[in-house]
Amino acid sequence: MPNQVTYRVYDFLKEIEPFSYLDQESLLRVASRVEVRYQPPGTVVFRPGEPPRDRFFVVKEGVIELYSEDADGQELLVERCGEKDIFGIRPLLADDTYVFLARAVEESLLYAINSEGFRDIIPHHPRVLEYLATSMAGSSRYNLEYRAVQRQRPGAAASREEPDLLTLQSLHRSRDPVVCHANETIMDAAQRMTEQGVGSIIVVDEDHCPIGIITDRDLRRCVATGMVSRKLPVLRIMSSPVSCIPTEATVTDVQIRMLRTGYHHLVQTEDGTDKSRVTGVVSEHDLLLLQGNNPAVVIQEITTARTPAYLRELRDRAERLLSSYLEKEVAIGYITAVMTQINDEIIRKCIKLGLARMQADGLGNPPALFDWLTLGSQGRGEQLLRTDQDNALIFEDVSPAKYNSTKDYFLKLADYVTEHLNEVGYRYCDGDMMASNPKWCLSVSKWKDQFTEWMHENTAENLLNTSIFFDYRGVWGDGSLPDKLTSHIFDELGSNSTRFQASLAMAALQNPSPLTFFRNFVVERSGEHKDQFDLKARAMRPLTDAARVLILQARKGNINNTLKRFEALAKLEPQNARLYEEAAEAYELLIRLRAELGLKRGDNGRFVRPEELTQVQRLLLRNSFNPVKEIQQLLEVRFQLSFLR
Amino acid sequence: MAVAEWLRRVFGLAGGDGRRSSEGGWPDYYRRYATEVDHRIPPDTDLREIPVVVLDAEATGIDVRQDRILCMGGLRVSGNSINLGEKFEAYLPTPPGFERSDAVVIHGIIPNSQRYAYVDEPTLLSDLLEFLDGALIVGHHIGFDVALINQALKRHGAGPLLNQVVDTADLAKRLRPAGYWTPEHDFSLDALARRYRIPLSDRHTALGDCYITGVLWLKLLSRLALRVGRDLQLRDL
Repeated sequence: MPNQVTYRVYDFLKEIEPFSYLDQESLLRVASRVEVRYQPPGTVVFRPGEPPRDRFFVVKEGVIELYSEDADGQELLVERCGEKDIFGIRPLLADDTYVFLARAVEESLLYAINSEGFRDIIPHHPRVLEYLATSMAGSSRYNLEYRAVQRQRPGAAASREEPDLLTLQSLHRSRDPVVCHANETIMDAAQRMTEQGVGSIIVVDEDHCPIGIITDRDLRRCVATGMVSRKLPVLRIMSSPVSCIPTEATVTDVQIRMLRTGYHHLVQTEDGTDKSRVTGVVSEHDLLLLQGNNPAVVIQEITTARTPAYLRELRDRAERLLSSYLEKEVAIGYITAVMTQINDEIIRKCIKLGLARMQADGLGNPPALFDWLTLGSQGRGEQLLRTDQDNALIFEDVSPAKYNSTKDYFLKLADYVTEHLNEVGYRYCDGDMMASNPKWCLSVSKWKDQFTEWMHENTAENLLNTSIFFDYRGVWGDGSLPDKLTSHIFDELGSNSTRFQASLAMAALQNPSPLTFFRNFVVERSGEHKDQFDLKARAMRPLTDAARVLILQARKGNINNTLKRFEALAKLEPQNARLYEEAAEAYELLIRLRAELGLKRGDNGRFVRPEELTQVQRLLLRNSFNPVKEIQQLLEVRFQLSFLR
Repeated sequence: MAVAEWLRRVFGLAGGDGRRSSEGGWPDYYRRYATEVDHRIPPDTDLREIPVVVLDAEATGIDVRQDRILCMGGLRVSGNSINLGEKFEAYLPTPPGFERSDAVVIHGIIPNSQRYAYVDEPTLLSDLLEFLDGALIVGHHIGFDVALINQALKRHGAGPLLNQVVDTADLAKRLRPAGYWTPEHDFSLDALARRYRIPLSDRHTALGDCYITGVLWLKLLSRLALRVGRDLQLRDL
């Protein structure tokens, strides 16, 4: 007869995949055989090479970290398992020893599930098996590595700078295909894929003819879950046969074949059959980068658009493009570059439409040179989804007599532009941080005064403005005015730097890193977003703030993008390179997560309900908090903030 | 000692009418428990190797001489694990005259409710002794539970519990001694569970309390081990 304690275990497990797929009776039976294991901090749950006992683990409370050892015996963090995460499931699936070292980071309680009893249940619950086979693949570490590999791919790297330079001929790039033989181990194959920076490897026979293929996905599905030992020959996990195309096939040929077969990878051979030598491999991902939903086409359309309504349609199309990029796990650096270019183009178009209306109103051409500044995340080139607009306008100094009329012209223009942007879907800014606000439509001199004031009087409001306005970027206009502002800022920094920088650094610490996430999200206490987690304020802003103040300190004014800032910082300070790289990685991940959530819900993805995250997303999010905390500590030391607090 | 042992065996062997032996006065189950099980644990035994049973009784009240056991729960702890598969749980019908007991509001056991399968007291005691075997008994304010059990054993002509006993309240006090500023109730199971962050959901069901006490036991031990600076032995308790 089940007792209260069994019911307590049952209640806990029934929310968690794959236990949620079990019927009550079966799950109660599982629960009644659970062993509750207590792990003091620092204690080991299991070690690599240890034969698995007949159980796997669910974290009831606390945190367990899984480590793998590299060739030098160094421990590499593979995964952090928090509440409700499952680990050590290997014995359930294969009779092999543990691969990882599992250690409690803090005082933890584990439910050890008797896998004997669990295994009996699987045949009657196909969804459990399905879950084990597929979704256990979501190991965070692997995803990050996968993206790192993607980033290093020559195609992606080149297009990162100039996303609209994609052409068709590069499909026939003369790179030697990465191959291996059927009897080589999975580990060797994975090693080679990593070395070569590719997402797939072709298995060939003695004559160099293709007999199968292994992709990142296979590795994730089979190996990362522990279902298949890494020491087995590749033969065990390869997909076979492969679909072949001749070397001279066109993009359309490739597209049609992929659609028809449903394969994500096609192998190029000399004569287009699997009886001739391998010459290359084309993936769906390659194709997407090459052509697919070509962003260049969208941008082309924007420049010829005549109405805000059509711009809105194009922006919607760009969103679908974004969604397919996210799905294919295209590198974030590339995605943000494409989306920024699209956003910029839309802004330019709106300005042109605004200027046309000024003409139509009989107000004529602009009375002075000007630049349209975009601020905040769009200024940093990191905006994926349409958020509120943040913009400003700077015009050249004019004689005092003409100042007011000049300003009036630009305010009117800004009115039109912001109206158009609003129609496209970039909503008016609640805080009125827009060029149509008289405060943010200023001449060069007045802007200089404004920045000087922000830098010398470190009130809370000024700091907030700093965090938005300092990431300005000119998108349309003369092009020379933003640089004047930048050099002014660095002059000011020279005369009075320490206090200003310290206050900026302070701002980066204002949102404490959300470490209590392990047990609970740090959710908003009240207001419209009660019980939601503020992705932007709690995780992203500390990173953007930190990157900004550090890059200001390093006097690199022309780097306006958080990822690029961290990249530059890693080069400037090799001793902190690891931290900056991790911060950039975390930031990428947050951008990605926010875009995914936003697309799913049709909003800007800023607020997240803890329960709408998948286990994998929760894990990824949690991992991203580590660099947030570390970088905050770095700021505290560097700017001696403990004295200020 | 040897003589007593000898007498025990002789009388034990002489008895033969079911539960209660005529000469020695001990029921069979107790005789077996007392003579065949080794309850001594050398003080230098590694704590991880000692079988532990966390015990909790719910009773009609707090007067050891008057009140009766209503429900008894036990869980085995070995090493750092609590095994929910090996549990002891038994309910007794509320004896006549105790139906209006004030304790009902605490443990929520409605007298003779149909929810439970009841056994009689000798069966409970017999099963309990078999479950206990030579284990170390751990419980919160366990002295009360042991006294209740001993009273019951005495009622049925058996001797007292022979297992070694550790009180988690005492252990908690040693780790954080009470001063004149620390009221006694700070070492209640509720207060300690809160201090050591153990959820209190099944409080006042015998098995639920066992579970909470079991987790508390493991958490206290890890802190004690830090203080002692090596693997714990029985004598450290």
